Amino acid sequence: MSATDTGGRVSQFGSAVAEGWTRERFGLLGAVALILIAFGPPFQVYLFTDFLVVALFALGFNLLYGYTGLLSFGHGLFYAGGAYGIAIVLRDLGPVFADVVGAGISPLVTFVVGGVVGLALVVVVAVPVGWLSVRLEEIYFALITLAFGMLGYSLIIQDPAGLTNGTDGVIVLLGTVDLGGVSIRVGGRRLYYVISAITVVAATYGVWRIVNSPFGTVCKAIRESPDRAGALGIDVRHHRWMTFIVSAAIVGIAGVLRAGLASVASPGLTHWSTSAIAVIATVIGGATYFSGPIVGAFIFLYIRWGISRFPALEAYWELFFGALLIAVVLFFKQGAVGGLHLLRDRLVGDGGGGGAAEAGSRATSAPDEATESSDDDARTDRGDTS
Amino acid sequence: MTTVLKTEDLRKQFGELTAVDNVSIEIDDDKITSIIGPNGAGKTTFYNLLTGVLQPTAGSIWLRSGDGDELVDVTDAEPHEVAQAGLSRSYQITNIFEGLTVRENVRVARISHEGTRLDFRSRATGDESVEADVEELLELTGLTHIADTPCDTLSHGEKRTVEIALALAIEPNVFLMDEPTAGMNPTEVAEIVSLIRELDADLDATFVVTEHNMDVVTDISDRIVVLAEGAILADGTPEDVLTDERVTEAYLGSDSV
Amino acid sequence: MSFTSLVPLIGISDVVIGLSLGSRLFLIAVGLSLIFGVLGVLNFAHGGFYMLGAYVTLAVVSNVIDNFWVAAAAGALAVGVVGAAIELSAIRRLYNRVDSDLDQLIVTFGFVLVIHETVRFIWGSGSYSIDPPDVFNFSVALGGSTFNAYRLVVIGLAVAVLVGLWLFITRTYFGSLVRGTSSDREMAAMLGVDVPRLYTGVFFLGSVLAGLGGALSAPLQATSPALGDQVIIDAFIVVVIGGLGSMSGAFVGAMLIGMMQSLGPQFISAGSIAIPFLAMVIVLLLRPEGLFGGIGE
Repeated sequence: MSATDTGGRVSQFGSAVAEGWTRERFGLLGAVALILIAFGPPFQVYLFTDFLVVALFALGFNLLYGYTGLLSFGHGLFYAGGAYGIAIVLRDLGPVFADVVGAGISPLVTFVVGGVVGLALVVVVAVPVGWLSVRLEEIYFALITLAFGMLGYSLIIQDPAGLTNGTDGVIVLLGTVDLGGVSIRVGGRRLYYVISAITVVAATYGVWRIVNSPFGTVCKAIRESPDRAGALGIDVRHHRWMTFIVSAAIVGIAGVLRAGLASVASPGLTHWSTSAIAVIATVIGGATYFSGPIVGAFIFLYIRWGISRFPALEAYWELFFGALLIAVVLFFKQGAVGGLHLLRDRLVGDGGGGGAAEAGSRATSAPDEATESSDDDARTDRGDTS
Repeated sequence: MTTVLKTEDLRKQFGELTAVDNVSIEIDDDKITSIIGPNGAGKTTFYNLLTGVLQPTAGSIWLRSGDGDELVDVTDAEPHEVAQAGLSRSYQITNIFEGLTVRENVRVARISHEGTRLDFRSRATGDESVEADVEELLELTGLTHIADTPCDTLSHGEKRTVEIALALAIEPNVFLMDEPTAGMNPTEVAEIVSLIRELDADLDATFVVTEHNMDVVTDISDRIVVLAEGAILADGTPEDVLTDERVTEAYLGSDSV
Repeated sequence: MSFTSLVPLIGISDVVIGLSLGSRLFLIAVGLSLIFGVLGVLNFAHGGFYMLGAYVTLAVVSNVIDNFWVAAAAGALAVGVVGAAIELSAIRRLYNRVDSDLDQLIVTFGFVLVIHETVRFIWGSGSYSIDPPDVFNFSVALGGSTFNAYRLVVIGLAVAVLVGLWLFITRTYFGSLVRGTSSDREMAAMLGVDVPRLYTGVFFLGSVLAGLGGALSAPLQATSPALGDQVIIDAFIVVVIGGLGSMSGAFVGAMLIGMMQSLGPQFISAGSIAIPFLAMVIVLLLRPEGLFGGIGE
């Protein structure tokens, strides 16, 4: 009896929470949290910035994996592309900009120009690499992207053109903006956090719009059945190519931010083990959800940090993620976000069924207008909430 | 009467094996045509040639595209180009976007037809004319009541109907149905047959059907083409073809007499 | 200007070193290829298996019995058992999934991390090395250069494994089951082949080969936890160039890459480490089935 009562109360509480927390309120809460974090302890600001950058990296990767069904093991190439783009601009063109716009403001101008150059570089690389890669599917796509990533890694290390400074990488000095006596370090943790947060939020909104656009809807269809999409007149290869380029560009933006955060563009960014970070974060978070990569990146960064606080375990954090990755793929492919959905449904009390069917039954029972308020985090395959 | 699909001496070799052997056929828009034949007769290969999945060894394929009366050559076209030219298909094993809802399935097809697949700035649900067309199609195929159901939870018969809705959403001139009643129970067969009749009456699309169930074939066909060993064995009205002795021999065999 | 200054002399020792590098690559790649050919699983953890084989061999030599050959056999077997356990406990669950290929790749990648960290946990981050077995631990002088005789043993063993595998696949009953199952799983199952057991068996065999590769290479290289990550990428290159599923392809591909690793730096200074990846890209695009045919060839 009492158990039922408690269950009822929990369920009531859950409903109240679910009704009270509309998407707008969640957005407001998120914005407040983002602002508050800027005033936190410096290390926490740094860690959170790190999380934002990895989240954007994984989000860009997942446009191709979770939304279009192509697993890339070479997105580190584009992560590095953004980082090296800005690093080389800062190194080689910084003084030029200082002459043109004046030393005071030049660090900021150089940063913006460097970012744009980094992004452009990534797109220039992604256009041919994507065009070739989308000729293959499944495991072969994973292998060719791995090969392209490692090809980039080799070239960056051996540096035949004398641009990338070999294994040491390119140091990134963001400099100090000087405006009539007030000087701010662009690379200072708080300012850099603000720059990163604004960029990542804007880019995330962009990705959200893309996945809910006609373009994104076609991506999901291709993921579900490329043959069927082709038989409906969709040029599957071309669409995958376009998605590849967009995905690379998003990852490139994350790479630009990574360079400033780490103060260096290093060859390790191109290595397949860096590409794997996006895979780990995305799968753990739940590739079928828009927010999966974001939540996965959060888990990745913060659990790693948590583990690092225990010196005996510090060196072995990969073991934990390896095991977690295996467990998620084997037993709960919806990942962390899927788990949160399940938990919410329990609390709200519209449970029944489990796993994937859960999301299905929810979508079945919910008419459109109800989905609007409750489905703050639509599954990628049910991304439309009209 | 207009010809909507034509093949000329269409042939497909797999090594030594001739799967489709110099098939020349004209499909007219005023009939439901059934293509039948024993297993291994080359029906599936023939479909795959028509839809651009396979490239023919020799011969050509012509399709009426859009509203024009001219036939266009689609011999070397890729599947999506064939579909854009006006040929739609359903598969023997139902092929739909399982993870999407029924409405999203149809919406994808309409986006493809409207040519807005590269639009990444609008909302997928934002195009009113697309949405109206989607609703109309759902209505027409009787899927409105399950429009928001994810397809992986539907029954076999419902999935088949979704596939028909998908195929029709791109407004084809020709609709190739590969075994539309495969794996269905008698009630579902009856429903799908009446749906096919209705749709044939309501729409401009010309239906071409392969089918194992001979009751269905005699029921819906105005014309039957029999394939055997990759070549056309017989072609005519159901009465003519089904009384043809060669057909009885080759297709029906001894077990169904 | 003398012509010889432009063309560096290829020493016989460089060739032997290249072939021995190729031999160790062959042992890991052939298992990888076999598993892919039969099960359709691209085992990312195969480099980890190789590394594990080297570690177990080192551990047995230093703690249990001071006989390299016994230790190498123990290393290979131990890895086989680990591989079979992974197939039984994890990979098995994925065969019937829609996205099984990608899920398998991700799960085996999970095992890359697990094996890497477990090895580090047990043996630490440092690197170990042992001498080749005494009988073969001498220098051979040939054509003005020298190399360790043990390298010839490794090359000989790799050739023996290739021949043995070929005979096994083409001449034995089990081999015929393997070939049949790799070409049509459903048909094999209908004909009464116990497909799940066969899969475990093939995964075991492929793992043993990787472990053997690691064990035999232990005297030729420094064994450290980073070894697995390095060698798996080389193995991917080899199987792609040779053809996923092809055993002779794995052999030729491995020898090609081994020679390139040995001789490449003398010919091309910049970009030489990029060439194998470039080759991998080109083969994937032009001949995704590899330069050689399917299984058993």
